[in-house]
Amino acid sequence: MMEIRGLNKSFGGNIAVRDFSLEIEDDEYLTLLGPSGSGKSTLLRLIAGLERPDTGAIVLDGKTVTGTPPHLRGLGFVQQKYGLFPHMSVFDNVAFGLRYRQIDPVSDQRTVNDRVERMLELVGLEEFGDRMVGEISGGQRQRVSLARTLICEPRICLLDEPLGALDANLRERMTVELRRIRSALGVTFMHVTGNEAEALAMGDRMIVLDAGRAIQVDTPHDIFSRPANVQVARFLNAYNILSGSGQGGAFETAGARLAMPPGVSGAVHYVFRFDNVAICDPDSRGQSGSAQMEAEFIASEFLGSRVVYFFRRPDGGVIEAEKHLSAVDPRGMRQGEKRILRWPVENVLLYGKGGGMLRHEPVLEVAQ
Amino acid sequence: MHHLVGLRWLLGLYTALFIAFLYGPFAVMAILSFQQGPEGGPQFPIREWSTFWYQHVMGLAPPSRIAPLPIAEALTRSLSLAFATMVVSTVLGTLTAQAFRTRFKGSGVVFYLVVLGMMVPGVLLGLGMALVADQLGIDRSWWGTAFVLHVVYTYPFAFLVMLAIFNRFDRSVEEAAWSLGVPPARTFRKVTFPMIFPGVLSAMLFALTLSYDEFPRTLFTAGSDVTMPIAIYGTFAVEIHPNLFAFGILTTLFSFAVLTVYGILMGLSTRRARARFSDMQEDIA
Repeated sequence: MMEIRGLNKSFGGNIAVRDFSLEIEDDEYLTLLGPSGSGKSTLLRLIAGLERPDTGAIVLDGKTVTGTPPHLRGLGFVQQKYGLFPHMSVFDNVAFGLRYRQIDPVSDQRTVNDRVERMLELVGLEEFGDRMVGEISGGQRQRVSLARTLICEPRICLLDEPLGALDANLRERMTVELRRIRSALGVTFMHVTGNEAEALAMGDRMIVLDAGRAIQVDTPHDIFSRPANVQVARFLNAYNILSGSGQGGAFETAGARLAMPPGVSGAVHYVFRFDNVAICDPDSRGQSGSAQMEAEFIASEFLGSRVVYFFRRPDGGVIEAEKHLSAVDPRGMRQGEKRILRWPVENVLLYGKGGGMLRHEPVLEVAQ
Repeated sequence: MHHLVGLRWLLGLYTALFIAFLYGPFAVMAILSFQQGPEGGPQFPIREWSTFWYQHVMGLAPPSRIAPLPIAEALTRSLSLAFATMVVSTVLGTLTAQAFRTRFKGSGVVFYLVVLGMMVPGVLLGLGMALVADQLGIDRSWWGTAFVLHVVYTYPFAFLVMLAIFNRFDRSVEEAAWSLGVPPARTFRKVTFPMIFPGVLSAMLFALTLSYDEFPRTLFTAGSDVTMPIAIYGTFAVEIHPNLFAFGILTTLFSFAVLTVYGILMGLSTRRARARFSDMQEDIA
């Protein structure tokens, strides 16, 4: 188990990590979501020992390792660009840590052979041991990098955007592979990514990072259905976010007055999900329990199993509505046509001035 | 189209002239080294083709009025000096370049201090060194005062070569090794050094060749036991015979041999990859 306490790090006045605390359990898959520049790579480098924190402590199994150099920490670090040894074969890359590490090196060639072969099998590269790393594909390099780290049986394996350099097809396959390999070995993975879908799909637990600070730590399900913070809702890329001010059951935003859940005051952000929005004819009657807004159709984006429609609000901003093709027959709309958009008031999330959530009861269930 | 043909001829002529001037002196030297001996002088026409001057350089020619070149010991000295300079400069250059990978305080000043060694006029540096040695009561010798100056001169070259190599070096490879539990010193040996080895070879080649025919810095600092370039210069004062040309050809051949060794070593460092690559090609075929 690892405990991170109040970690701070800045580079020449630019704060990269700010008061970051976290407990990492054994045998879990942690994902860390943050936009680029949110300090997520710095955080991993701090944990790995490649950077030293300005203040704060990292405690691994009850032992403080804050000042311990990386080669004595017993952690694994899979880099975004793999960092494979170009002058060695795949086999030698994987065997490298076992052979040359300071703590408990394995000198017996037979043991090394056995373990490397088992590891290559686990990552599906048993045929490639003799190849040089320049002669294998990107996805295979990714797996060599992973195998090389995992063979040393790290306490925690840190992965820095491990799927970032792969194309979409391979990325999907590696997502499944990573989860399988992790559960086969029972090692804790801490997986850093800028892709919300990846973070939601892979993590047992998920951390959302913004400007060097953890703004929500929870299961992916809870983060998705109840973003603790308007910033989190923004990163999830599934919510319409309107700014204005809410009072007495109505939310004033530029050009519209929207129904809002009762009993809340001081709301500054009015947030509802893309897939909660119903697209109605301009002359249809209002419904109780729904908020509505007139908007102008801009364009739609066909995504295979679903379609995303973009509408222009009266104040010029954009509202997105998402429809699953299996559920709704998409109706042809021409650009500039007016429609009434409706969404259930009970599903609206409200956030106050500091970005914090104002309404905490469970609002909707996500199909699991 | 027509004017392009003209341009092509012009460029061709330019290239031909360039090559003529580049290799002309060498060609003349090569031809004259086969002059008849011992009467033939260092000028055209060739009286008769012979290898007399080569035998003369080797000490195999029958005795004549022309004294043998006083180069046997000088050559040994030059080679040992060049070798020692190569080792010391390359090690120093590599270590300094490694230090420059972290922008330490005052690295800008240190950079210019190192590079100064190749900027200062050689004759002046040699003279200065001779004066300092006199003041301190140190005997001037090729293995002492001259050696120091050779290192001062070649070390910046080795340093700059290694700096360029490290600039392109991806440090994530080293970080990966540390993260696998491998300590920094072992990481340098097993990962960094093999990857920068081609650069180290180039730095060695620079240091070796620069030191081997170094003249101005050695002139005042080598003392009485002179190196090869000084010995050759000494013979100019008396009379020039084609034996110098023969020696020039021989020493050029030696340089080619060094270059060949360099090429082979360079090839070896990538050969394994290529061998595996061709294996793979055969598999596919």
